[in-house]
Amino acid sequence: MIAVDFARAALPNEGALALLAMEGAEPAGLWAAADEACGGALRRAAEAAEFTGKKGQTCTVLAPGAGLSRVVLIGLGKEPDHTPLGMEEAGGSAAAALAKDSVAAIATDGMPASHAGHAALGARLRSYRFDRYRTKEGADAKPKLASLTVLTDDPDGARAAWPALDALAEGAPLARDLISEPPNVLYPAEMAERCRALVQLGLEVEVLGPAELTEHGFGALLSVAQGSAHEARVVVMRWSGGAPDAPPVCFVGKGVTFDTGGISLKPGANMGDMKWDMAGAGAVVGVMAALAQRRARANVVGLVGLTENMPSGTATRPGDVVKSLSGQTIEVLNTDAEGRLVLGDVIWYAQDRFKPALTVDLATLTGAIIVSLGHEFAGLFSNDETLATRLIAAGQATGERVWRMPLGDAYDKLIKSDIADMKNIGGRPGGAIIGAQFIQRFVRGPWAHLDIAGMAWSSKDAPTIPKGATAFGLRLLDRLVAEHFEPSA
Amino acid sequence: MIVRFRRSSEAPARAIPVLPETSPRKPKRAAVAGFTGREGEVAEVSGRRRRVVLLGMGAKRDFEAAGALAVARLFSLEHIALDARGLTPTEAAGLAAGSVLRAWRFQRLLTRPEQLHIAPDRCRVERIDVLVDEPERGEAAWARISAGVDGALFARDLVAEPSNMLTPASFAARLAQLEQDGLEFELLQVAALREQGFGALLAVGGASVNPPCLAVLRWKGTIQAAPVAFVGKGITFDTGGVCLKAGHGMWEMRADMAGAAACAGAVLALARRRSPAPAVAVMPLAENMIGAASFRPGDVLRSYDGTTVEVVDTDAEGRLVLADALGWTLARLRPQAVIDLATLTGSIVTALGHHMAGLFSTDDTLAAHVAAAGAAVHELAWRMPLAEGYRDELDSAIADLRHCSDGFRQPDACHAAAFLRSFVGDTAWAHLDIAGVESNETASDRHAAGPTGWGVRLLDRLVADRFEDPHRA
Repeated sequence: MIAVDFARAALPNEGALALLAMEGAEPAGLWAAADEACGGALRRAAEAAEFTGKKGQTCTVLAPGAGLSRVVLIGLGKEPDHTPLGMEEAGGSAAAALAKDSVAAIATDGMPASHAGHAALGARLRSYRFDRYRTKEGADAKPKLASLTVLTDDPDGARAAWPALDALAEGAPLARDLISEPPNVLYPAEMAERCRALVQLGLEVEVLGPAELTEHGFGALLSVAQGSAHEARVVVMRWSGGAPDAPPVCFVGKGVTFDTGGISLKPGANMGDMKWDMAGAGAVVGVMAALAQRRARANVVGLVGLTENMPSGTATRPGDVVKSLSGQTIEVLNTDAEGRLVLGDVIWYAQDRFKPALTVDLATLTGAIIVSLGHEFAGLFSNDETLATRLIAAGQATGERVWRMPLGDAYDKLIKSDIADMKNIGGRPGGAIIGAQFIQRFVRGPWAHLDIAGMAWSSKDAPTIPKGATAFGLRLLDRLVAEHFEPSA
Repeated sequence: MIVRFRRSSEAPARAIPVLPETSPRKPKRAAVAGFTGREGEVAEVSGRRRRVVLLGMGAKRDFEAAGALAVARLFSLEHIALDARGLTPTEAAGLAAGSVLRAWRFQRLLTRPEQLHIAPDRCRVERIDVLVDEPERGEAAWARISAGVDGALFARDLVAEPSNMLTPASFAARLAQLEQDGLEFELLQVAALREQGFGALLAVGGASVNPPCLAVLRWKGTIQAAPVAFVGKGITFDTGGVCLKAGHGMWEMRADMAGAAACAGAVLALARRRSPAPAVAVMPLAENMIGAASFRPGDVLRSYDGTTVEVVDTDAEGRLVLADALGWTLARLRPQAVIDLATLTGSIVTALGHHMAGLFSTDDTLAAHVAAAGAAVHELAWRMPLAEGYRDELDSAIADLRHCSDGFRQPDACHAAAFLRSFVGDTAWAHLDIAGVESNETASDRHAAGPTGWGVRLLDRLVADRFEDPHRA
């Protein structure tokens, strides 16, 4: 984890330096000063590399002079791109380009103080690595960047704004670690223990084990878990930072720590990806940690339904009928449509117990959503226009984009069962919608479902997201709380 | 189908919509049948001289659904009456529209007379009397709405035709007959396509013994303005080409020209109701066969506008013929807006099922208008994204772009839309991926089995609502 500090904008005389260049603008401030100190080497390099400051462009100049080991020019694009998100992406690109230097600075002079923090957040997010199982990696292969100084016109302002962003920079790696852990290490009980550790941050954490789940009647969740040697857990994490009488917001995450598909076994190719079938739960844990860390002035409850979906002699069969916590019966026709069974019970429990103002669930629910939207947007399904609009806006602001998808009776009809209240599949056409319709049968009150199957894992590096677990949803939900459930400062 | 608005009828059966607020119209025997009048409820009470079917309307007042339900229940009769007394002329016309659309069937190829009657669910309705207090007002309302219904049925007849009987040439010949409705017909055959550089359309149609062509139908209207253009994918049969489809269900690919049929039906509707708005339907027609002259994955084609396109999958042929047709439409017709319709991707079926089409647009206003027109005529479209990331997936190493992505589980509908977008420049454009909605597998109370004619009534309504104001241009 790189250490972040903010300092008054002045040219450093050693280490590496990242400079942010605006497209079509003459170099100014530290960019111009650095160039002058280096005898014009930076301009010459930029010209030779056809670097124009276009968004996403980078240009690295080694040992240009003035004691600097490396200067990286980062394209910020034109004025409309100079958003907090644009700064995060620039900070992320800078961190990637500066990974070989142990000490580095990034210049944000001429920008508001809050932009300095977003650049630092981007750098922190991009520097994430999951390397605890690399036992033979040499020091030279590891990134060296340990300390990043953000140069700004207003260091005090930047420092004051930092804790709220730092909370995100702490929550994201927590979520990414959970999502990245191999499934033999991270099974329901282990994940519950890691959630329990969050009491340090001031969260109240409660773990429901198999006995409590049986007693309450989490029949749908338990039907998924019954094929595995690992028992199920439901973890309830409460952050009570708001008015005592304010109804909470509930976030519910699908936490299938490994999904073989069960008796409806998946094909072998890429089955290893199914370790991140708990990415919804991972993001919920991450956002709860972030909210606690930044002492959010809102009441939020995070719930995760943790189970493993295995085929075995005790596993649920296609054709079985199970009774959910809500009392509704479900004909399980495909044991690989298990996430909705978990969510149905946990959402019902959350609403029953906490009477929330709204509920948002996150789940790597369907392959169909990937065929629908690919890796650009999560699918957003909601019974509430206000909530949907707010999530779309929060997604735009944080880069965790969501696209509204439809719900309706025509789709709900597809899960009618001949012998139970519903069946858990309804055919390939509209598969993600059918998953959402199923969940909706367990929903009372304003609700949104985010199908993040296409967004939970990235197959390539993005500016603020290294290849791997993304923690998608964490920032989106944090933003939703900050914008709409906390008193404005 | 004969539809007449009359004060009385000798039909042996009568269907009566029952509205919540007009319960006095409900015959007394309905109470015996336990009829409550909720939406979609039906009760049949046999009268002395005729059958009487009561149709529950509920609060939704969907008269098209009620008309369809009447036919679904009285399918075995040749002559039925719909009791629209007390309804507005528009409501009465809606009842008629729903019944005519539900009564449609394709029986041109049934050669044995008993076939017409043996099948238990084969609809035989030929004459529909709509009972109204003022027939003239009913007829006037019907004239406005029936043009779209005519267009939809024309489209269905085309889509239902088997591909050995509907080749690009015979499809074009069917379109040429619409000159009698006042439409101008133009046909670009292979020589003209070669001369003008339709590299993509020629490649897709190249393996078939039935050569490709581009058919154009124009409705001049009376407003002096650039036309609105409808561009429809017209693959009369799609084997997939070298990337051959699996055999199971391949017969359905005779409907892969439903987009072109819808565009033709839409301009026919405008002509039938003498719309003042100028419009044009552009229909690239081709058969995607496998053969010695097939285009191949890896080939690079040069489209009408000069763009080079690397072929990844020959079964993603629809976007290729549309690219040429869109390029030609923009260059030659300079339309004020372009809407294309295509049975384009399996991906959109996975995304939205059989209940809604995918709507992609660069123009929020046009998209909103298209969606609203669709909602008004029960042809629902759901907005889907066009994002830079989808276009990035189409980068090619050797050409300007490739036409689809090469991978497992791709958002192909979004990729296809991103591909088409690169051929429409700044023109207001909307793309409707209708692969999930062009046919109904089975008949229901609401819908006839088979082709739906999806899009005809939407486009007709869109023009009526948004393109007929003479001051707009």
